[in-house]
Amino acid sequence: MSVMGNTTPPPMAEGKLSRREWLLSDRPASRTQAKLGRAYVSWRRFAENRLALIGLIIILALVLVAIFADLLAPYSPTIGDLANARLLAPAWDHWLGTDDQGRDILSRLIYGSRLTLYVVVLVAVIAAPIGLLVGTVSGYAGGWVDAVLMRITDIFLAFPKLVLALALVAALGPGIENAVIAIAITSWPPYARIARAETMQVRNSDYISAVRLMGASPIRIVLRHIMPLCMSSLIVRVTLDMAGIILTAAGLGFLGLGAQPPLPEWGAMIASGRRFILDQWWVAAAPGVAILLVSLGFNLLGDGLRDALDPRSAGQ
Amino acid sequence: MMMSKINTHARLLFAGAALTALVAGTAPTLADTPADTLVLAWAIDDTITLDPAESFELSPAEFIGNGYDMLVRLDINDTTKVVGGVAESWSVSDDGLTYTFKLKPDLKFASGNPLTAEDVAFSMERAVKLDKSPAFILTQFGLNGDNVTEKAKAVDDNTFVLTVDKSYAPSFVLNCLTATVGAVVDKKLLMEHAEAVTPSDDNKYDTDFGYAWLKTNYAGSGPFKIRDWRANEILVMERNDNYYGEKPALARVIYRHVKESATQRLMLETGDIDVARNLDPGDLEAVSKNPDLSTTDAAKGTVYYISLNQKNENLAKPEVREAFKYLVDYDAIGSTLIKGIGEIRQTYQAKGVLGALEASPYKLDVAKAKELLEKAGLKDGLTVTFDVRNTQPVTGIAEAFQQTAGQAGIKVEIIPGDGKQTLTKYRARNHDLYIGQWGMDYWDPNSNAEAFTSNPDNADDASTKTLAWRNAWDIPELTEQTKAALLERDDQKRAETYKTLQQEALDSSPFVMLFQQIEVAGLRNNVKNYKLGPSFDTNFVGPVTKD
Repeated sequence: MSVMGNTTPPPMAEGKLSRREWLLSDRPASRTQAKLGRAYVSWRRFAENRLALIGLIIILALVLVAIFADLLAPYSPTIGDLANARLLAPAWDHWLGTDDQGRDILSRLIYGSRLTLYVVVLVAVIAAPIGLLVGTVSGYAGGWVDAVLMRITDIFLAFPKLVLALALVAALGPGIENAVIAIAITSWPPYARIARAETMQVRNSDYISAVRLMGASPIRIVLRHIMPLCMSSLIVRVTLDMAGIILTAAGLGFLGLGAQPPLPEWGAMIASGRRFILDQWWVAAAPGVAILLVSLGFNLLGDGLRDALDPRSAGQ
Repeated sequence: MMMSKINTHARLLFAGAALTALVAGTAPTLADTPADTLVLAWAIDDTITLDPAESFELSPAEFIGNGYDMLVRLDINDTTKVVGGVAESWSVSDDGLTYTFKLKPDLKFASGNPLTAEDVAFSMERAVKLDKSPAFILTQFGLNGDNVTEKAKAVDDNTFVLTVDKSYAPSFVLNCLTATVGAVVDKKLLMEHAEAVTPSDDNKYDTDFGYAWLKTNYAGSGPFKIRDWRANEILVMERNDNYYGEKPALARVIYRHVKESATQRLMLETGDIDVARNLDPGDLEAVSKNPDLSTTDAAKGTVYYISLNQKNENLAKPEVREAFKYLVDYDAIGSTLIKGIGEIRQTYQAKGVLGALEASPYKLDVAKAKELLEKAGLKDGLTVTFDVRNTQPVTGIAEAFQQTAGQAGIKVEIIPGDGKQTLTKYRARNHDLYIGQWGMDYWDPNSNAEAFTSNPDNADDASTKTLAWRNAWDIPELTEQTKAALLERDDQKRAETYKTLQQEALDSSPFVMLFQQIEVAGLRNNVKNYKLGPSFDTNFVGPVTKD
């Protein structure tokens, strides 16, 4: 299909080309070089955005903390010393103090990062493909398929997200898996809308017609030629939504419908700490700050990704 | 001209305001309550009626306890006994079926109407015939709408005779008569306000016995008369000058509905109120540190427990039941999670009730529990679910128990839910573990003994669903003993039977008793003689004085 690889490589004057020049070459010698070049440009544009870099660092730190929780946490996240270490203020022994069960808050935050990542990743993995599939099929097929799928999407969009998630969790029973399912079910409709809009833009373009003339089936067209084009905007949207997912999960935890005790879910930690907010503020403040930081990180990252991935502002 | 006038005014106003601010800044004026009035802040939103025949909630029990008098009352100095209320003396016939009460002479209601045996009989008749929630306390003696006029009868102005269907322990009958449902109401006044009704299935009589009127009014003879009640706002009591006993020093007692603990603390600190009744542990600590304020507390008849459903075959093993009792860190929970709201208690009878056993043999002992589990063939531990209402302090206690149980290899999976969810599951016997509270229905050991150590029918469709039934604890022998204790006419022996029952429960029951609730109040230092009683209807404000 692409004929780029067939062009004669430009004469390399000295035969030596710095890696940067190789990547930025306007006449790439292979498809790989073109792809890498494009990725490099995107990265450069992303890296220019300092805030986006901060976001990336926060998220990377979250991932690392989650992976190495066992090594990092100084105490057990679930076993505390009720008799002797309850509601201690932040000090050298307990950097962020202890909660009402005498458990080290720092250790709970560290282990809680696993739950947060677990929720975010699972929701993204469940919701994004559903939204993408519904949106592209709906956009490409048009007609009554489009009408039916979009009305279903409308129904889901008509409910406030948290209220719908609450209803689902109440029906399924509390627990982190059910919270994930509930959040996933409530968060796919916007992705479907975006994917549909993108599909409508490209479905009548020449290259799609060409593929169709070559005899490609609608399934192949949607999967191989339309979906990849929707990916970048979808990634941006999912990243921006992750902050919202974390907040919803924390909200469910706060209402006692998310993670079950003694899991160190951040929202549930705030809920149990709010009783002491006047006298032992750190119990609720520490997980609150953690949620704030991670949400901020995802928002900054998503913002940077949008600037970097948006083909319209790419100038290429 | 106009302009300058306004300006002068404005300037004067500003100056005045500044001056006020200055004065206020140097000498803060406290809004003291009047010297002859006691002002209490309390969440009184559970008051839905002031009618003794219907009321079964906490705050109205206190209003009725102060506003009405009963035949007999709890002896506040020794709560295993009763003292005379309107009754001067009483005797029980040899067959134990007939109780004869002699009333104190020349009693008067607050309305001025004389209080006679006729009023006592009417009060019983009214409560039984209206048949509201607390009526069972009287109908359990075999009274019903058809026979109550015969069985609860005024022989003359001063003599009231009550006939019961079995020869119950006299202490049981008398204890039940101290309940607010036994309050003596003013027949003449009530029948003036009674409305004629058409008999229906709910009410088979042609009068409502003043039911509609008494909901918000008062017809009693206690040390205080209830003058005014506005739901969720205020309740005002005034001294009853017709009261036969020692008259209260205070002319007025005002209950203000204040829900938030922090608000009550602030009002108490500024002197807007004299007594704060709903202080959370944090606020209580702040109050107890304030030199102008003090606190008082009393154990109340509500106990908390963890129960093990005997339908689960692992939990049904006697060793497992015992092991669980060694897996609660009583000391730590008592000094932290329930500090100021409860005290550790391992027997199921509330402190102060007849026959209450004082024993706390269990303490956290993981090694011992492991040993017991091994004996039960559960060396590798077990996994159980735990239904927990998502309120404090039960959630905290459940989590603490989860940790200590984990040390012995018991994996406890907490299922949080709201009160209705967990209770429904518990009542259907679908739980493994449950943490709950149990409040005494009336001040007699039979109330809790029936709940914890009586299970007449362990079938799923049984008609009597006691706590033992809810946990499928099949105990025909203990049920018989509980029944027998009800008919034991010797108080000493009766008390012994209850102690045996509690010991049995302590050793082998599926109930891990945790603690007994205590009620606390914060007071200003000028309030003297303010004491909380063992039940809400014995929170007397009569003896209170103010400096």
